[in-house]
Amino acid sequence: MIEVKDLTFSYGKDKQALHGLNFTVGDGEIFGFLGPNGSGKSTTQKILTGILKGHGGKVSVFGQDIAAAHTQDFFQKIGVLFEFPYLYANLSAIDNLRYFSSFYPAGQLRDIEEVLEKLEFKSDFLRKPVSSYSKGMRQRVSMARALVSNPKLLFLDEPTSGLDPSGAVLFRRIIEEERGKGTTVFLTTHNMMDADLLCDRVAFISNGNIAALDTPQKLKEKNRDQRVTISYLYQGKREEKTIEIPELEAGIPFLHDEIISIHSEEPTLEDMFIQYTGRGLS
Amino acid sequence: MWKDFCSLFKKDCQMMIAGKFFLLALGSLLLYTLFINFGYVRFMKAELYHVYLYDPQGTQQQVSDLVYPVTSLEELDKILVADATGVGIDVSSGTPDIILYYGSEKVDRHRADYAYSLLHTDRGYEAKTVGTNTPELKQRKEISCELLFIEIVAVGFLGIASVLFKEKQMGVIRVHAVLPLKKSLFILSKITVFLLSDLVFASLMTICNVGFTSAIHILPAVLVQTAILSVIMALAGFGCTMLLNDFKQFSLAYLVIAVFAAAPVFLAANTSIKMAWIGWHPFYQIYMALKNAYFGISVTTPVYYLCSACGIVVLFLMIQPAFRREMGKEG
Repeated sequence: MIEVKDLTFSYGKDKQALHGLNFTVGDGEIFGFLGPNGSGKSTTQKILTGILKGHGGKVSVFGQDIAAAHTQDFFQKIGVLFEFPYLYANLSAIDNLRYFSSFYPAGQLRDIEEVLEKLEFKSDFLRKPVSSYSKGMRQRVSMARALVSNPKLLFLDEPTSGLDPSGAVLFRRIIEEERGKGTTVFLTTHNMMDADLLCDRVAFISNGNIAALDTPQKLKEKNRDQRVTISYLYQGKREEKTIEIPELEAGIPFLHDEIISIHSEEPTLEDMFIQYTGRGLS
Repeated sequence: MWKDFCSLFKKDCQMMIAGKFFLLALGSLLLYTLFINFGYVRFMKAELYHVYLYDPQGTQQQVSDLVYPVTSLEELDKILVADATGVGIDVSSGTPDIILYYGSEKVDRHRADYAYSLLHTDRGYEAKTVGTNTPELKQRKEISCELLFIEIVAVGFLGIASVLFKEKQMGVIRVHAVLPLKKSLFILSKITVFLLSDLVFASLMTICNVGFTSAIHILPAVLVQTAILSVIMALAGFGCTMLLNDFKQFSLAYLVIAVFAAAPVFLAANTSIKMAWIGWHPFYQIYMALKNAYFGISVTTPVYYLCSACGIVVLFLMIQPAFRREMGKEG
């Protein structure tokens, strides 16, 4: 679906934003692009969506070189959720979505109210102006805008930002459903939980370079600590012990009355990010 | 493409209505109409120049009835002090000498010529009425033209900025970057909305203040000139909005345009201030074309229309990169 080879981009003489990125995104894959602010995530997404021109290297989307791909046909096949919910504040959710969807062929469109319902948008706000919506509601309308045209390739920038935990769970479920239908998702985020739970593969980007690229599981496994911490009760006292995993093969190797919990010392994706890039995500 | 344009046009109309732009234009129209009908036409009536003749030797034989004879230089002095637009002719030396107490260089020449003409009625110097305009209609046309010019240059220019800055603040311009539509349609739609609004304004302004019968004859030519000015101003407003960060900066840019673009035009066209270069000022040419349109004189030179068309195309091309840059901006 997406093929990027030696991608470079510069905002000026001394502002090199991307230093030769290489990656591919397969059909129906959820690909996470992780990095802190200013790392080059948005620049890459803008190049892929045709907003920024003048890049170096080779970029192809839908099997076509990006320079030639930015036709109306290309934009009909992509859906983009921006980092901020860009909507007409004086128009209602319905009017916003009717307006934005009016540029797509009618046969390609989903039912607006159905999409909003799926996103658990409060129905009594459907015809009220966006200016009266909470941040979470605006994010739902923005997501509906990205989904309403049934895109084959979905670019999502911080999709769960501004959502409460249940909203975030809902969005993740919807993204999974989209992938289930064969939609490819390019997810730009610095939310590790989103990346860990959703992505088939993630790329860590820092200072315009990809520091690591693999499945979240493999990235964590490569650096896994082979130990577990066991909390237990013995003679009425709560105690804790950390042991090597192979020691568990023959059972719990110490006296105990009751096991309270066993925690593996598996690193988080954020730990991995820091390890690869030398900096945090926020 | 037509469907996309209609969607953009409908949304732009909604934005204009939400921004109360129509109310502002309607308010301006009401204010201008009240000013013209109850202020300007009533109190700005220009009286005829009175001509006073001091001719002790009676050398002037073919003097018009409009000339008031005086018996002494003292009497002439007293009258001219009281009558600001009056013209005195002193023939005590044998040759007529013009005496003016108030006035400016350009007007003085007219007044002097008029006064001389009244001394020589035998040589066919009597003034002829040019055109069919009554003095009141002439006044109405002049002031309507000036106010229409101000409205389009100022209010129309600010109008497009107020709508666009709202869209900039909401960030929605960026969404258009990833929509399947020709990006230039976004600009065209905006220009069309403001063009139509200006044409409606010009029509109402002309009909309300010049009168329906007179307006119907001059309206086509007035609308052509209004359209040229409106498109230029809308494109300039669009460009400034894309380049500048907020309305405060825009207001400053607007002041610069008002001072350096519109002010010299009014000064050159309506006062005796001379500016040798004013003929090269594009707004002056448009203003004069609009004024001529009001007086039924159509601009027929193709150079004017060619230059206007080129100006519009150049402005359109110039704002494209600024628009694309705005679409690519981050939150």
